Amino acid sequence: MQADQNLDCKGLSCPMPIIKLAKTMKKMASGEVLEMLGTDPGSKADVPAWCEKTGNVFLEHSEEGGTHTFYIKKK
Amino acid sequence: MFKKGVLRELFDSLFGKSWPMWVGGILLAMMNILLFVIKYPWGSSSGYTNIGQNIFQIIGVTSLGTKVPISLHAVALLNIFVVVGAFVSSLFSREFGIRISPVGELVKGFVGGALMAIGATVGAGCTTGGFFTGLAALSAGALTLAAGFMIGTFVALRYLLWEMEALPNISMGKSFIFLTGTGKKTGWQRWLGWLMIALVLFLFNTYTASSSGAMKIIGWHIMIGLILGMILQRSRYCIVRAFREPFMTGEATAPVAVMLSILVALVGFTVIKYFGVGNAGEFAARAIEMKGVYANFWLRALIGGFIFGLGMTVAGGCAVGTLWRAGEGHVKLWFAALGFVIMAPLSKGFIVPAVKKLLPESMQKQMFLPDILGYTGAVVLVLFILLLWYMFAKWNEKTGKFSAL
Repeated sequence: MQADQNLDCKGLSCPMPIIKLAKTMKKMASGEVLEMLGTDPGSKADVPAWCEKTGNVFLEHSEEGGTHTFYIKKK
Repeated sequence: MFKKGVLRELFDSLFGKSWPMWVGGILLAMMNILLFVIKYPWGSSSGYTNIGQNIFQIIGVTSLGTKVPISLHAVALLNIFVVVGAFVSSLFSREFGIRISPVGELVKGFVGGALMAIGATVGAGCTTGGFFTGLAALSAGALTLAAGFMIGTFVALRYLLWEMEALPNISMGKSFIFLTGTGKKTGWQRWLGWLMIALVLFLFNTYTASSSGAMKIIGWHIMIGLILGMILQRSRYCIVRAFREPFMTGEATAPVAVMLSILVALVGFTVIKYFGVGNAGEFAARAIEMKGVYANFWLRALIGGFIFGLGMTVAGGCAVGTLWRAGEGHVKLWFAALGFVIMAPLSKGFIVPAVKKLLPESMQKQMFLPDILGYTGAVVLVLFILLLWYMFAKWNEKTGKFSAL
């Protein structure tokens, strides 16, 4: 998937990934896609929940060797 | 590791997906009731303190040390086996991995842990022993402790948001992840999990085979620690979130889960206290009633709660949250545990005596709510406060009035 922005949250634990995600998304334009990397298992649930709460579109999640990749589209 | 079949199905339903946090909340409350029946309801900070005191003892600073080794301290062992339980459960669910965060985050872990140690010793309780257990045990101090957590969490969250803008480098930099459960050659992880369980069973058996009642009690703390750790890791139960989320994302999931666990424990604890259930030979009925009730109402708990609230938010886990995340492999929380362990004896030796001397008796009272309100009045008061908290969390979830993100 093509991303307009990247955010690396590898090694970070709760709540830093969500704080960073919110900060990055604030600066993006509507319709742009963010690719976020993270290693906290909690993010699997937290990122979709945050998207639902804020109305942003959660596109995709995959995992490889403990690193999670999320794609989120700004509303 | 199993032939595809019913056993595999069972294993996957337990470890394939996370459990809802409220399920964890109910199960933890049940375990807390068991701990109460066995000896004393759930607490965590005194276990950290004991481990720290043992370290000071070993390095020769006996004024901060203790004669009680970790192997004979039920709460220290409970803590250690919560870590083991979370380790096993994260291995089973393929969520284990050694995650080394950037250096700035490791420092925040250590500082957060040290602040938690000061808060827990000054306030006479952490989020688990002082608040979760304390409120269910109808301790008046639990209420001001909670107010302290709320203020501390709010302030520390402001700091984190400010840090993100002003000092973004703290949470950036090199990070590493090792030994994760997904990818190639990871079958050993589940075998290691089973091996750990066998080890715990062996220890449990060793302690409980003793003719001493105290040893049997310690054996059961090892077993319950393992179970607590697994429940915590599967449900990602987090009291920091219960206090933080309303101010951060506004979600009410964590507050509701924690309320539910307090509610279940409240019922169990009240019955135990009301009827004086327990070892009548060892504890008089009054001693049973006063379990989980600390001499911290009101200012002592408020100050301690505030400091603890700062620490847990910066570290990203309270006393117990630090344990299970440490077991899952978050190195930042290893540093938090280290900070807690080192600071707790220092705070107990130097800060707590000063605070006790400074505060008048009326601000550090051991107050059991039913003594003033009767059992009915005390339970109704706690229920009313839980209801208020629920209404606030739900209203804020909708309106986002207090949430920053």
